[in-house]
Order: sequence, then C-alpha cells, then structure tokens
Amino acid sequence: MYPFGKGLSRYVPLLLLMIPVALYVLLAVGPSMVTIVFSLTDATGIPGTSWKFIGFDNYKEFFTASNASDQVRAISRSLYFAFAVVLIQNAVALLIAIIVNKRLRGDVFYRATYFLPVVLGVTVSGLIWQMLFNPMGGPAQKLLNVFGTQSNFFGSYDIAFELIIFVQIWMYMGYSMTIFLAGLQAIPKDLYEAGYMDGARGWASFRHITFPMIAPAITVNILLSIIGGLQTFDIIYVLTGGKFETSTLAFNVFAAAFATTTSDFGRASAIAMIQFVFVFAFAIVAMLYFRKREVEL
Amino acid sequence: MRESRTILGMRYGIVLLFMALYLLPLLYLFNVSMKTQFEYLANPLAIAESLRFSNFVEAWKLGNFAQYLWNSVLYTVTSTALSMLLSLIAAFPIARGYVKFSSFFYTFFLISMFLPNPLIPQFALMTELGLYNTQIGYILLRTTGTGIAFLLIVGYIKSISRDLDEAAAMDGCGYIRYLFTILLPLTKSVLATGVILTAIATWNDIIMPVIYLSDQSLAPVTKGLFAFRGQYLNNWPLLACGIIIVATPLIVLYAFLQKYIVDGALAGAVKS
Repeated sequence: MYPFGKGLSRYVPLLLLMIPVALYVLLAVGPSMVTIVFSLTDATGIPGTSWKFIGFDNYKEFFTASNASDQVRAISRSLYFAFAVVLIQNAVALLIAIIVNKRLRGDVFYRATYFLPVVLGVTVSGLIWQMLFNPMGGPAQKLLNVFGTQSNFFGSYDIAFELIIFVQIWMYMGYSMTIFLAGLQAIPKDLYEAGYMDGARGWASFRHITFPMIAPAITVNILLSIIGGLQTFDIIYVLTGGKFETSTLAFNVFAAAFATTTSDFGRASAIAMIQFVFVFAFAIVAMLYFRKREVEL
Repeated sequence: MRESRTILGMRYGIVLLFMALYLLPLLYLFNVSMKTQFEYLANPLAIAESLRFSNFVEAWKLGNFAQYLWNSVLYTVTSTALSMLLSLIAAFPIARGYVKFSSFFYTFFLISMFLPNPLIPQFALMTELGLYNTQIGYILLRTTGTGIAFLLIVGYIKSISRDLDEAAAMDGCGYIRYLFTILLPLTKSVLATGVILTAIATWNDIIMPVIYLSDQSLAPVTKGLFAFRGQYLNNWPLLACGIIIVATPLIVLYAFLQKYIVDGALAGAVKS
C-alpha cells in the first residue's frame, strides 16, 4: 500500500517517474524504433534536403550492390569478432579466475591490474597498443625482427583485425574474470570436501562441482560478450578507423551515417536493422540454451 | 587438500605471465614519455637516458589538454549528478510498487540493450532540436535514469524495510521529502557505485563526442587525445606524455576506489 497520502498526492511518484521515462523514450527506445522507418527512406544527414520512402531499396542495395561482397565480409567479420571474443575472453578469464581464487600471494593486486583497462577506457588502451605495435621499431616489431620477419600491424590487411580482437580481449578479460570470481567465491567449501571424500580430484572436481555451480556466471559472461562483441565499434574507430578490412556491421552503421560525405542515413539505418537481427537472434538462442542448461544442472 | 609444488609454480607462472601483459605496456609507455624524439628514433626500446618531465609541459601546451580536461569534468560531473537524481526518482516507486505496472517498467528499461542501434534517428532528433554540437545536448545524451545505477538502486531499496516508509508517512513526511532526506542518505553506498560506473562510462566515451561535438573547443579529453595523435603522428615521446596526462587521473582514482569500482561493475553486470 502507498503510505504517503491520498487523492492527488497519490500521483506524485508516477509524475516524477515520467521524467526518466520521457528521456528514455525520447533518446533511446523511440529512436531505436524509428530506425525501422528510416531504413525505408533515402534520408541523408544533410540539413534541409527532402526525403521519400523507397521501400526495401536500402536492403536490396546492401545485398546486391557492386560492393555487396564488402558488406558480406563485414557480416562475417562481425561474427568472427563476436565468436573469438566469446570463446577466448571467457576461457582465459575462467582460467585466471580459478587460479586467483585459491590462496595466492598478492591476489588483490593481480585482480586490480587485470581490471585496469576497463577504467583506462578505449582511447587510452587503444593508443598504448598502437605504440607497442608501432611498425617503425616498436617492441612488437623488434620481436618479429629477431625471427627475421616484420609486419605493419594495424596497417596490415592480414592481421589488423586479429590485433583489434586481441586488444578488445585484453581490455575486457578482467571484467569477465571478476564475474567468474564472484561465482567461484559463492561455492561452499564443504562441497569440495564432500567431493574429495567421494574421490573427486582435479578435473573431476572441476567438471562436477565447479562448472555446474558457476553456470549463472557463465550465462552472464557469454550474453555480455555476445552483445558486446556484436555492438562494439569504438575500438575499431580508435585503432584503424575501419581501414585495412577491419570494419564490422556495427562500425558500418556509424561509417555510413557519419564518416562519409554522403552521410546516408537510410542506408545506415538498414545496416542497423540487419545488425539488430543478428544481436537479437544470438542473444535469444544463447539465453534459452544457457538458462535451460542451468536448470538441468 | 594439498597441492604439489609443480602446480603451485604453474599457477604463479600463468598469473605473472598475464601480469606482464598488463604492466609492461604501462612501463614502456612511461619509458617512452621520458625520451627525446631523437633518443626514441635511435632506439625505441632502450631505457631513457634521464627523467625528462619537460616533455609533459610541452605536451600539455601543444595538446590543449587544460581545455579538454575541463570539458570532460563538466560533462562527467553534470551528467552523472543528473543521472543519479533520475535513477533515484525512477527506482524508488518501481522497487516499492508505488506505481501501477512497476514490473513492466522494470523490463521496459532493460530492453533498449537488445533493440536496434538508436544512433541515426537520435542524431536527426538532436539536430532538429538545435542541440547538435552543444554542451547541453551532449550532457542530455549522457544522462539517464534507467541505466546501471537504476538497476543497482532498485535492488538496494528492496532490501530496506517498507516499515520505514510507513513510519515516516505516519509522522507526516511527504513523498518527495522522504525520498531526498531519508532514503537518499540510506542508499549512499550504492549511489557511490552508481556514480563511479556512470562517471567512468562518460569520461571514456569517444564515439558520441565524435558524432555530436564537432567543435574541437567542446571536445572531451578522449576526443582531444585522439586529435593529438592525428597531429603528432610519429612523435611517440610527445604522444606518450599525452596518453599519461589522460590516464593519470583515472589510475589515481582507481587506486583509491578500486574495491567500489570492481564490486560495482560486478553488481551491474549480474543485475542486467
């Protein structure tokens, strides 16, 4: 029951709540929905120009235009990025979390250090790695020279994209690790002792005690890295600006709208819708699969 | 359960290997920042010949960092304060069920994460409202009462007894006064976490300033640093100083608030 008075004053909470709701609808959900409408027009970002509905032309163009293979490559790069981040980031994070979870000298310091890149942010982290991968005598280049080879790193068509994935994982591994660690610390110690009595050692104890017990943490981490992996593009903007075959769907939305002189809002919106289909599909599948698995365990 | 020396050694080995991957880049950054351009070109890896803090003075002046830092402080402080205010206003009635459909609102606030990227219609709207390339416009975009702070506060308020609301109301305390004079002080710890998370996200934002703040005099420190790199492309000692100027406040803050930041990030992730 609402204790703070009757009559008109009953509506004060709702009235106040409407301020954040209005902001949310106006700047987040509303624009998200209107993206569908924009994707069916030839709108541009140039002020004062008229626009009209052109049906599904933006989508047709995406798949059939002369540069369609670029777009298909952007889709496959988006998926490659997301899968690599999901698998490697979570595997490394889980390994480190398990190691740090047991008594280890200086464990608080380790945890804090792994988390630091999240605080430093994408611009600082990106520039630090650009410095390390500087082709003009940077440390990574010196190392390659020892093996008699060399690379242009972020300026190389062969490995620029893989290096971006590496920096992305470097940045957010600590975040995933923190979530795993919380899951690990919530496991009661006597479970392991009971398991030990029943002969569960090493791998068996991990497989049958640790793994099922941290199922919720795995769900959270996988979902976050799928969504993040498919939606992130600030790291690409900072490291290569989308050049050298490193643009993904998410980056192309930004690039089509803001990084070209044509600023094609209709086409950018269509790419945003295609990206949305991927995010939605993968998030739903992952959520259903992992929630079901949690229940079965 | 005892473990063998080999396993313990392996554990330290892996942890320290990864520590190197996180700390060596920072040490290298500092080393480069102490060099002259000539020293750097001669041998990028060698230890700097002397501590040369004058590099920082030069980078500070050339990079216009005073202006950028001020902008970042302005954006971060105002949008974080407004976000906390709105989050509290939204979280209290929803946590208590003082409005109809409160669970609907809660879910409604979460869905934007899965919806299409709002970037383009949002930009059209901001231009229409005359808020493109203005400080107010950018602050408005970074202000939200429905983000991570909202989720954290809802969770926290649910752990505060309802009896308190009723007792205060009995004594004649109104809704707004209760919210700001009694509830607000009680939620201090979770608000602190919300402040830190919101502030870090705003301080480190690069894409929105690139889109919305085309005027370089309005740029926050991220966009400023990025422009600085574009300008002094191969002068890495100078760039390293710029990076350190931007990173130092964050590292100092992190050193003091490390526990809040990590715990808060965790709570935020698990809630969403």
